[in-house]
Amino acid sequence: MNPPPMKPPLPGQIELGVNPIACDAHGLCMELLPELISADPWGYPIIRRGPVPLRLQALARRAVADCPTLALLLTERH
Amino acid sequence: MTGAEHVSAIVVNSSTPLWYATRATGLVALVLLTVSMMLGLLSSVRFQRPAWPRFVTLGLHRNVTLLALGFTVVHVLTTVLDSFVSIPLPDAFVPFISSYRPIWVGLGAIAFDLMIALVITSLLRTRLGQRSWRLVHWSAYLCWPVAVLHGLGTGTDTPIAWVLVLTGCCVLAVAVLTLWRLALTWGDRPLTAAAGFVAVVLILIAGGAWLHAGPLAPGWSHRSGTHRAAALR
Amino acid sequence: MTTHPAAPTWAGQPPAPGDLRLIASDLPLSLAEHIDRFGPPQLANRESATLITEVERSGLTGRGGGAFPAGRKMRAVADASLRSGRIRARTSSVVVANGSESEPASSKDEVLLSHAPHLVLDGIALCAAAVGADRAYLCVGAHAPAAARAVAAALAEREQAGLDAVPVTMTSTDGYLAGQETALISALNGGAPLPTFVPPRPAERGANRRPTLVQNVETLAHIALIARFGAEWFRQVGTARAPGSALVTVTGSVARPGVREIPLGTPLGDVLRRSGLVADAQAVLTGGYFGTWLPLPGAHQVAVSEDGMRAAGAALGPGVLAVLPDSACGLAETARVLGFLAAGSARQCGPCENGMPALADAMGRIAFGPPSRDAVGWVEQLTALVTGRGACHLPDGGAALARTALKVFEADLRAHLASGPCDGASRPAALPIPSGPRR
Repeated sequence: MNPPPMKPPLPGQIELGVNPIACDAHGLCMELLPELISADPWGYPIIRRGPVPLRLQALARRAVADCPTLALLLTERH
Repeated sequence: MTGAEHVSAIVVNSSTPLWYATRATGLVALVLLTVSMMLGLLSSVRFQRPAWPRFVTLGLHRNVTLLALGFTVVHVLTTVLDSFVSIPLPDAFVPFISSYRPIWVGLGAIAFDLMIALVITSLLRTRLGQRSWRLVHWSAYLCWPVAVLHGLGTGTDTPIAWVLVLTGCCVLAVAVLTLWRLALTWGDRPLTAAAGFVAVVLILIAGGAWLHAGPLAPGWSHRSGTHRAAALR
Repeated sequence: MTTHPAAPTWAGQPPAPGDLRLIASDLPLSLAEHIDRFGPPQLANRESATLITEVERSGLTGRGGGAFPAGRKMRAVADASLRSGRIRARTSSVVVANGSESEPASSKDEVLLSHAPHLVLDGIALCAAAVGADRAYLCVGAHAPAAARAVAAALAEREQAGLDAVPVTMTSTDGYLAGQETALISALNGGAPLPTFVPPRPAERGANRRPTLVQNVETLAHIALIARFGAEWFRQVGTARAPGSALVTVTGSVARPGVREIPLGTPLGDVLRRSGLVADAQAVLTGGYFGTWLPLPGAHQVAVSEDGMRAAGAALGPGVLAVLPDSACGLAETARVLGFLAAGSARQCGPCENGMPALADAMGRIAFGPPSRDAVGWVEQLTALVTGRGACHLPDGGAALARTALKVFEADLRAHLASGPCDGASRPAALPIPSGPRR
């Protein structure tokens, strides 16, 4: 399974992950977040590990909402 | 023009601006809905260019659909408020209960209901989950042709040349993109793709035939049930 | 029911440190003989919560390859069962005994089920009571008809004796991934026998959307003994970090291949010598096709346990030890196994569906020629691309196999790249590759 985050994100932090079964390499996420997500040779996302920088959090939420198959996942602590 | 429409064209009354608004917003809504369909189809064929990333297609699709819904709501309101023909608000939601051109207004109600369902489920997609959302979203393939038929059958402007050309362009655009979408499934499921091709062609032919024998043939206003409503009033 | 003169009658006495614990006779013990030998399947204090504590204290880890602490898994399912009880009236969980053994080189589960089915069934019954389960499944591989027969006979005996409160249904599995935890549950739920995305974990929501305890059949057999004889007894053999005994399948270039029970932590060389290791062994594949290579005789001192293997850069997995003779070509064997793994992919995840065939192809070019430019670099890149990016560990296993092959067979690698495939590459495969579904 997708490796879980090293430890749960601290309050206010969010982390991105992907459900590899749902992912169909549509590629919207890497368009919206090139700083954090890059494409492997077959178009599937490679997500940088670690919490999402604050300035990119809004984009990250949008990428999660925009994913055509809802494969991009957000883990957060309130 | 038929008798009733001729009369209303000469007698300018308080309902005439509303009637123009209904026709105008109806046409605009149809065009916007067509653009929305096209953008949705472009998304499903994974259309992408260096200057046109996929999130643009998706963002536009979303905004254009909301705009289309907005225009449709105005279209419904002006229709209801128009006192020349009685079309109360329930007629916009419940199909075929209208006394004015029941079938064709009814199709409008169906398209309207589907649009509302499509928009609400899309706004709540993350909560609903992918499968349920997808199931409802397939009804877009029903909503758009129903809206076109509603426009052609109810609309009094159907015989006008530029309206026909506009509608024809909308139909052509969606048909071509639908065929492109079907072509993508050719590799995996050739039977489904072939069936889809045949369906699109048959629908186009049937639609054309209906148009020729229906709205474009004389007496359509009477055959579609206009006079009943006028008589009831 | 005949008694076997060879089987000592212990009348419930715990096996001593030197004794075999799980299997000690050639034929399956009947129910009466089983109870005669081990005593009735009861927990010492008769309190279900204490079984979980006892298993936690024993340090028993899963014997199916995951090496997850068994007690912690049981605790998670029991807790989930209690939690769901507060929301819904039905609190029952489900126990799934995984005997599918889809790893082609492994036969320990088949041997265990054919020889000691009652131990496994005891384990199921005890776990069911401990986690509040109202039904259980025992999944046997379609390639192990002897095991299925033994289980069926044992189930009939137990039903006649009215022994088990919780009904056990035997099911059959087929396919390399079918034995994966979530794939097993997916199949039990009527879906495809393919892995699903986690969360939710089976312990939270598994078979029939209930909390599900999935344990390897060998783990359950150990639990059946821990219940009777206690955590301290279990820890009498093995090491502090890897307590207890385990079944390993020794195969390949040895005189006496087969399944052996060993104390965990035994040096690899001892285990192989006991199976008749021949002089011209060049390497051993540990863990299965999904596993890692270790050089021989260099790795003779590696402790056969999960932590011992990890320290050496290998994995114990389900305990496969496949010895490769000098005459074979390690790179060719690896390429063939990678091809098998790639064909077994569920093809649900892009990185695996694309990356595994590419990896098999790249290794094949190195083994059988002609290698592409920077063939090794491409293999290394592929192993990084597939690791951790699938829903299950199949790509991880393939990547580890490829990486360790490049390291252990480095001399062969240089020779292949310089002057083409060696003679060993054209020999018939030393490691058997099943074609089609595993039968």
